[in-house]
Amino acid sequence: MVLYDSATLGGSCSGSSSSSSSSKPPPLQQRQQKQQDIDGFLAGAGYRVRSSELRKVAQRLERLETAMVNSPADLSQLASDTIHYNPSDLASWVDSLLSELTQPPTCPSEFIMDPVSNQTVVSDAWTTAEPHMPQVHQNISYEQQSLNNQLTVVPAMEEDSGIRLVHMLMTCAECVQRGDFSLATSCLEDMQGLLTRVNTVCGIGKVAGHFIDALSRRIFQGIGGGSVNGGSAYENELLYHHFYEACPYLKFAHFTANQAILEAFDGHDCVHVVDFNLMHGLQWPALIQALALRPGGPPLLRLTGIGPPSPDGRDSLREIGLRLAELARSVNVRFAFRGVAASRLEDVKPWMLQVNPKESVAVNSIMQLHRLLGSDPNRNSPIETVLSWIRSLNPKIMTVVEQEANHNQPGFLDRFTEALHYYSTMFDSLEACTVQPNKALAEIYIQREIANVVSCEGSARVERHEPLSKWRTRLSGAGFRPLHLGSNAYKQASMLLTLFSAEGYSVEENDGCLTLGWHSRPLIAASAWQAVSDGTADFPA
Amino acid sequence: MARSNEVNLNECKMVVPLNTWVLISNFKLAYNLLRRPDGTFNRHLAEFLDRKVPANANPVDGVFSFDVLIDRGTSLLSRIYRPTTAEEPQLNIAELEKPVMAAVVPVIIFFHGGSFAHSSANSAIYDTLCRRLVSLCKAVVVSVNYRRAPENRYPCAYDDGWTALKWVNSRPWLQSQKDSKVHIYLAGDSSGGNIAHHVALRAIESGIDVLGNILLNPMFGGQERTESEKRLDGKYFVTLRDRDWYWRAYLPEGEDRDHLACNPFGPNGRSLEGIKFPKSLVVVAGLDLIQDWQLAYVEGLKKAGQEVKLLYMEQATIGFYLLPNNNHFHTVMDEISKFVHSFNS
Repeated sequence: MVLYDSATLGGSCSGSSSSSSSSKPPPLQQRQQKQQDIDGFLAGAGYRVRSSELRKVAQRLERLETAMVNSPADLSQLASDTIHYNPSDLASWVDSLLSELTQPPTCPSEFIMDPVSNQTVVSDAWTTAEPHMPQVHQNISYEQQSLNNQLTVVPAMEEDSGIRLVHMLMTCAECVQRGDFSLATSCLEDMQGLLTRVNTVCGIGKVAGHFIDALSRRIFQGIGGGSVNGGSAYENELLYHHFYEACPYLKFAHFTANQAILEAFDGHDCVHVVDFNLMHGLQWPALIQALALRPGGPPLLRLTGIGPPSPDGRDSLREIGLRLAELARSVNVRFAFRGVAASRLEDVKPWMLQVNPKESVAVNSIMQLHRLLGSDPNRNSPIETVLSWIRSLNPKIMTVVEQEANHNQPGFLDRFTEALHYYSTMFDSLEACTVQPNKALAEIYIQREIANVVSCEGSARVERHEPLSKWRTRLSGAGFRPLHLGSNAYKQASMLLTLFSAEGYSVEENDGCLTLGWHSRPLIAASAWQAVSDGTADFPA
Repeated sequence: MARSNEVNLNECKMVVPLNTWVLISNFKLAYNLLRRPDGTFNRHLAEFLDRKVPANANPVDGVFSFDVLIDRGTSLLSRIYRPTTAEEPQLNIAELEKPVMAAVVPVIIFFHGGSFAHSSANSAIYDTLCRRLVSLCKAVVVSVNYRRAPENRYPCAYDDGWTALKWVNSRPWLQSQKDSKVHIYLAGDSSGGNIAHHVALRAIESGIDVLGNILLNPMFGGQERTESEKRLDGKYFVTLRDRDWYWRAYLPEGEDRDHLACNPFGPNGRSLEGIKFPKSLVVVAGLDLIQDWQLAYVEGLKKAGQEVKLLYMEQATIGFYLLPNNNHFHTVMDEISKFVHSFNS
């Protein structure tokens, strides 16, 4: 985006015109000014402003003037407050005065939704070098910018409300963290009011709505959150399925894991896959078919699917197993299925899996391990327990896919901030999908995650996402070593992405692991592991 | 905010470079905090906010400066700016008052602006401006730190200017070699321009020769509301309200804007006919709301048979000369240079 103001004429190069002499600072300072892009002319007047920030500072000055005009009674207070701020640092001076004048309290830190979209509203009335070329633009209300990237043009009013909404969300979360529920409640009311003036069909309005709901739930219903993940297994599976269809995250998880499992099973005739969350078994048809086409013929494939028990007497696990068996038979793959019903992963005992020592085992965890991270002082850490018995199975490979986010921090505000950023990005990526009802139900799926992260605590909070770096540490510490996913997996993933998905998704390789994200923000990470052998293979009691 | 304010901002932004706009807007807002409705002035905050720079006896880009105490009684300081010469690129501290070596060296006594209330000789913007004047005009500049309103009303600023003039005139080291006289010019912007005029007036019967007056956007006014004041009120950083405030702060209490300090060619003014008044260079910014008063001043000089050159900069706003990022700046600097080196002096 080109800024056509004549600060570029000479201002940012420290008064370089040879005929004019300025009180130029010594050469070292000049170089520093240049490096930091400080406007040289303003520096000569005693103000440090980056040339790149001039426009923003100008806009803020305008707003400050408006604010001062609108609250003349506050000026004397403002005057005595200005001594706290450094007048030379004009950008922050103006911001500080603005925040003094525009109560309610602003958020603790600048929240950048999307570094690019912050620039959508720019007033065009700055002069060019030739002042006799006036350009008439409306300063306020709707601006059209011709941009050469895929920004959406947001009306000025809306963007302001959107940013205000984010600030208010942060303020509310901060109140919640401090335990100031009465202030949090009034924040909620303000936000709900603001929501009515914001487009809630897409963008910030939509995701903000979900966060407002989650905060509301937390404040009024407490953190037990029983009803958050309520919804029968059937509902969950349905939402999961639509999430699978609407965006590529689960597809990516499945084919990346399958590729790794396929390679790990190379040369083995008896293979056993343990799936920590069977759902509709969407991952397995592709693996079954790939094994069928294996040079040398398919192995004997056993699949153990873990899932929650069905309340209505149906054995849904078995039903999925039967369907998969049908498929396997049709492609001549010897196949056996076993279902293990357990409401929590930590309730599964390794003997339930009936692993045969002669088998090659693959353990497949798609977004399950993080559920084990809640710590209950009355029990041993479930994650350690589970990782330990996985290790004791001596699997050929363990495929792990997790949300690439830090939603398990102890501080509520930190978690909230992370989640706001993460799910905003995810919602943005969902905009690329237009197919209904996939999209709407996928959103509900995501909304449930948000509600769990924000409004639950203790054992009720199961969405304890941690980033890849933490999983690396944790898994290495539990006796696993990483398996490189390999360039094949990367190429496959990239190719499949172009087939299935819209522009904007990106696959990245991260030290042997693969991540899928929206633009440059990874949202899901896939990795593969193997137990470090210590000579013994032992089933824990 | 009314729609008209949108238009104001737009017009203003169209003619001013971005960094100038930021600078002057910042002043405008800061000054709003300093002027109290009851006519008092938040001097402590003003001094805190004002960006100041020290004198520097080490030449920077061929100019060095040092401060002198001209009058102990009124604590009148001035900052002297001198050019280094090719022969002696660096003077040491004992040589600050070394005599000027050239045949003719213009000495410009400069009165900074600030509507009689703001700024100082050591304000960064004025230190920078004076240094530019030295380089471009090959002159010595004496920037006078005159007493300001509302603590010090008329005629304090003029008294200080007069004291400085006498002091400059009596410095042997400022005398041009050609005639052993100090070649003095009076200059100033905004209130400084007003001061230059009145100091020149006072010099008339004294025998001190002032070779020329340079008035940059000089601050004049009157009771009447002129067309330019009505048309440009609030449009280019300046409002009539703040102009009125500053006059009320400077003029003696109870006086109105037709006082001769404010309106030298008004009902209370003094006729300059037949008086040996210095030639004047008057710069008027076409977007300055008080331009009608400035143009009336020029007319007044002309009618009195005085030599005056008007530079009317159509698209210029107040403060255009503070940053050298526009054509007006360079035009005006050239004219000033010619003015102080013209062969008639």
